[in-house]
Amino acid sequence: MFSTLVDFYAAQALHRQKIKWRRNILLGVSLTANLGLLFAFKYLVLFLPSVDPMIANIYTVDHPFLGFLLQGVYFSIPVGISFYTFQTLSYTLDVYHNRIEPEKHLGHFALFVSFFPQLVAGPIERFSRLMPQLKTKHIVSYARFQQAFRLMLYGFFIKMCIADNLSPLVDAVYDNPSNYAQWSTWFGTFAFGLQIYTDFAGYSLIAQGAALCLGISLMDNFKTPYFSTSIGEFWNRWHISLSTWFRDYVYLPLGGNRVSLIRWVVNILAVFIISGFWHGANYTFLIWGAIHGMLYLVERLINANKRLPQTRLVLFAGGIAIFISVNIAWLFFRIDSLEQIPEHVNALFHTEGVQNLTLSIPIITMLFTFVLAEIMTYNSRFDQLLSKLPTAVRWLIYAGLFWCIAAWAGVTNHPFIYFQF
Amino acid sequence: MGQEIKHILSKGLVRLISIGLLAVGFNQLYTTYFLEADLDDHGPMLLELNKIADTSDVIYFGESSNFTTHPDDYNTLRISDNIAVKHPNYSFGTINHGAYHVGMFLPLVKQVQTTKEPKTIIVTMNLRTFNQDVIYGPSEANLRLASRFYQPTLPILNKVFASLNHYDNRSGHERDLLKWKAWTYDTLVSTDDSVHFKVNTIRRWCEVPKFLDSAGVQDNAKRQLADQYIKAYAFQIDDSNPMVQEFDELLQVAQQKNMRVVFNLIPENVEDAAYYIGDNLVWLMQTNRDFLVERYTNLGATVVDNLELLPSKHFLDRAVIPQEHYDAKGRELVGLQVAQVL
Repeated sequence: MFSTLVDFYAAQALHRQKIKWRRNILLGVSLTANLGLLFAFKYLVLFLPSVDPMIANIYTVDHPFLGFLLQGVYFSIPVGISFYTFQTLSYTLDVYHNRIEPEKHLGHFALFVSFFPQLVAGPIERFSRLMPQLKTKHIVSYARFQQAFRLMLYGFFIKMCIADNLSPLVDAVYDNPSNYAQWSTWFGTFAFGLQIYTDFAGYSLIAQGAALCLGISLMDNFKTPYFSTSIGEFWNRWHISLSTWFRDYVYLPLGGNRVSLIRWVVNILAVFIISGFWHGANYTFLIWGAIHGMLYLVERLINANKRLPQTRLVLFAGGIAIFISVNIAWLFFRIDSLEQIPEHVNALFHTEGVQNLTLSIPIITMLFTFVLAEIMTYNSRFDQLLSKLPTAVRWLIYAGLFWCIAAWAGVTNHPFIYFQF
Repeated sequence: MGQEIKHILSKGLVRLISIGLLAVGFNQLYTTYFLEADLDDHGPMLLELNKIADTSDVIYFGESSNFTTHPDDYNTLRISDNIAVKHPNYSFGTINHGAYHVGMFLPLVKQVQTTKEPKTIIVTMNLRTFNQDVIYGPSEANLRLASRFYQPTLPILNKVFASLNHYDNRSGHERDLLKWKAWTYDTLVSTDDSVHFKVNTIRRWCEVPKFLDSAGVQDNAKRQLADQYIKAYAFQIDDSNPMVQEFDELLQVAQQKNMRVVFNLIPENVEDAAYYIGDNLVWLMQTNRDFLVERYTNLGATVVDNLELLPSKHFLDRAVIPQEHYDAKGRELVGLQVAQVL
């Protein structure tokens, strides 16, 4: 509510104000309020020894006020703060740059900020795309419900059947990598890449389906990213709403590629590191962002000097290289602290562990189904694919997915990974 | 628009019926080929119950107090075994699993088939499970997941609900918050003129310095154990306690199924509670005991009050934590008490 009110009134004032320095102050107020909240709730912990509520009792004894604050921060982090903060920030920045007219109705603006399907984990929508849809009168339509149902069905399948079944395997390997045989450690490490993708893409599809029931079309957040043949393409297909946000509100204002080479390198690294930092207050996220930044730079520099021929073999080799690099980089995203890296890396190459992960036939079947679906939806979406199929085949697919969700879904409690951000 | 809604309803109805038929078929398939593996992983006690329920005159529902032993024990008989040896004419069945409490026993009791012959169930009643530390404990979400699988509904429905986390699956973070709030704000009220609480919340009570030597230095080992006693027993049970509500329902279900219910209120280390904390904590334990005994006796159950049955020497973990794990003699004495009421 605080973010909503600040941005609503700041944008109104920005629109009325013509003097530049006053406009800058108003923008500063909005940015400080939003980023201040984000910092207080998400990043304060990086600079403090611990906010575990029970450990924070030691502060309560010696520094009662600090203890109270720490416990307050620990217990009241608003869900999805990173997502709606960025959504409102883009609104204020767009008004500041005169790209859009500010919203005059507080209720409509509040709906834009808190539209429930995408409130907690995106997609991070732009005002110019979402608001006109929110204001349009929508009529109940069978075709829309059908499309929404298909999106949600596939979203539930990949979240509940793929992500939630992989999660215990991934957790087991990441908790004790040296206990596992080498193939299990590799499998667990790479399985996290699949888990985080299906978890987040599943959520995004469910959100899109839920919004579509209300007549709102949210943007696509993922487009089969693991089939990318370059790191640049990967970021055009992965968490699209966030990567385009960083492109439009950080990279381009920094000068984009119309700057000196050194400055461009710095800009690229800055964008990727900030995107890592966006995920949370841990050095591991910064390193993850930096790795992607460096991969991107290397790729661009290679291409700048000598553009490789785009043969199938080159593209395939590029795809494999990107798949491996991205999945190795996920290691830094998944671990809790840098101290875990030596043990994990050692286990990947020199493990003496004997434990093996067990992959049940249902899990293997569902993984194959998922890979097949990914291949068939390359450059399209599941609902679009289904609409091209004959009714009998479509119903067979529905039945198969229903069966997987009902009988083979994972059961241990795994909240959506991106809810923590 | 009206026509579109009609269109949706007519098409939707056909699809709903098809989905219903599909669900029935899926349930059969799931129950036949996949249920056992899921129960093995998440709710093993239902498989156990299915094995013993038909053939047992008496079923003992227990937790780790029943089966925990010590290497020096003169025998490894469980509490339930000790009861059984006193009644050789009854066939006994035991359902026990570490950390289980009434939340898991209730759906299992619902799964026991109603029979013409009266059956007796003995249900472990652990005073400590009524406290905030257990109710908001870190293992509670997993236990409630098991409980989901024990519900007497279509097995595939249980699986779907479990997958959708339709059970009390609050995170450790949420539970920490609730526990922290309870320890900070739930106040202890004396109803006895001889009992006065100088500090009346768990948090404040834990903050009070304890076991100070002449130089004013605390004996940390003792202080930590003392605080564990406060967290374990400094609470007051009333109707709103979720465990009380589940015990109420369990009793009601069992009575409807023509079962006799015996609650085995298992021993706590009252002697050490008095040593580490004092009479105020013992008073709380006793008033809670009185509440439970009176309530469930009035409701028609037999409550075996073993709260103060055992001296400290019979508690295996007394040097570490207040816990209901007894040596062989302790298990035998508890078994004897219960056997007497059968």
